[in-house]
Amino acid sequence: MDIENSSNRKTPFYEIHVELGARIINFSGWLMPVQYESIIKEHEAVRSNAGMFDISHMGEFLLNGKDVIPFLQYVMINDLNLLEESKGQYSCMCYENGTVIDDLFIYEESREIFRIIVNAANIEKDFQWLNDHFKGKDVKIKNLSSTRCRLAFQGPKSDDLLQPLVDVDLSEIKRFYFKHCELNDISIFLARTGYTGERGFEISFDKENSEEIWNALLKTGASPAGLGARDSLRLEASYSLYGHEISETITPVEGGLSWLVKPKKGIDCIGKELLLKQKSDGTKRTLVGLNLFDKGIIRQNYKIFKNGNEIGYVTSGGYSPTLKKTIGLGLVKTQFKEVGTELEIDIRGKLLKGIIVSTPFYRNV
Amino acid sequence: MSYEFPSELRYTTTHEWVRIENNFATVGITDYAQNQLGDVVFVDLPEIGMVFEKGSNAGEIESVKAVGDLSMPLSGELIEINERLIESPELVNTSPYDRGWIIKIKIFHSNEIDELISVEEYKEFVKSEEQ
Repeated sequence: MDIENSSNRKTPFYEIHVELGARIINFSGWLMPVQYESIIKEHEAVRSNAGMFDISHMGEFLLNGKDVIPFLQYVMINDLNLLEESKGQYSCMCYENGTVIDDLFIYEESREIFRIIVNAANIEKDFQWLNDHFKGKDVKIKNLSSTRCRLAFQGPKSDDLLQPLVDVDLSEIKRFYFKHCELNDISIFLARTGYTGERGFEISFDKENSEEIWNALLKTGASPAGLGARDSLRLEASYSLYGHEISETITPVEGGLSWLVKPKKGIDCIGKELLLKQKSDGTKRTLVGLNLFDKGIIRQNYKIFKNGNEIGYVTSGGYSPTLKKTIGLGLVKTQFKEVGTELEIDIRGKLLKGIIVSTPFYRNV
Repeated sequence: MSYEFPSELRYTTTHEWVRIENNFATVGITDYAQNQLGDVVFVDLPEIGMVFEKGSNAGEIESVKAVGDLSMPLSGELIEINERLIESPELVNTSPYDRGWIIKIKIFHSNEIDELISVEEYKEFVKSEEQ
């Protein structure tokens, strides 16, 4: 698609970010705020109060038709029968060989209508893949990615701050559930989901209301937070990031998402056979949590060694503002996966001592 | 974005500032550099007594998002490191020209000082980098 090549796409909030003095980076072809003032301050705001993130670069599809459930059962590895109306489910779409096309959230509006939120970098690929697999089924798919926009509102105070603005009782929305409601008389899709390891919400609405919703949320005292904090928060919470822990070359079982692979007896599902086999027999490599004994910062693609032999690499790494030390995730040969295993990480030519630790590093949900 | 660049300092195109006092130089990274890096969380410094040639890598400054090299602005011997940065690396952000200085060196070749750029030249350089 041509859109794929226009590599400086802007969300409806772009001008607001610039006005707030954000540092803008190109993320998957989108001009996004990486930070407004300080990643650490934004991270801490989400851990102690509330933060608001522009996630409008992500994609949004609406699927409807009589065959939507059998269709989604065929292309998604999680089990749609575990989902119910007004609830969301995390899942992956995989190739036959088990590697990941995308990880995404599926929300059940009704048994015949599902909303799917996908990664920014994969919108066109996912849309194409879904369209290629209808095979005469009664399924229609609408790409709402550019007509709607999305914000995440996350933090321990997110309920208290959001409640006065909406016409629903937030305590009635349980984790992973959603409701359609109004915020300042504007229709929004409001889900109790997130990517920060804190309680919070993700909101989707028509883009013509972008400014009004942003300003209403900003007035609550929530701090605008950029992609930098989004990444450090999700790393502490050990949520997978597409292209890092899972990708076109890493399966969900390798990447720590075995729990997504469901037996779905009697249901044909792309990748299921191989993934179930990986789940029962194990894989050659496994995702682990990493800490350093020495001072330094673990970063993506650094190599991991054990007694001088390379055993894997860092998939995501960085500084944890909450724990005030470096943390990382890495794929290592499975025989070395045990928590407590000491190893070395090559940090730009220096082998520093590290250890495998349990994950998540931090979650408060 | 407006940055602070003290006029009494000399600069490099790798964004170090240099304060010359007799045969010695104090070195840090500029306000622009600290802003580009973002929150500094760790400064990895070499040991005192090590000798470096001009332009070689004399340390690494790690922020939440990125790693920056500290490039030696002059050939010399490392005589002091800012030990406050071990506990408080954020001083590089909050006080880049004062409490956030990074190393002190003994200058080997005073003629290299002339190769450092002035504040005016550095301001122009930052302008061109920002475009």
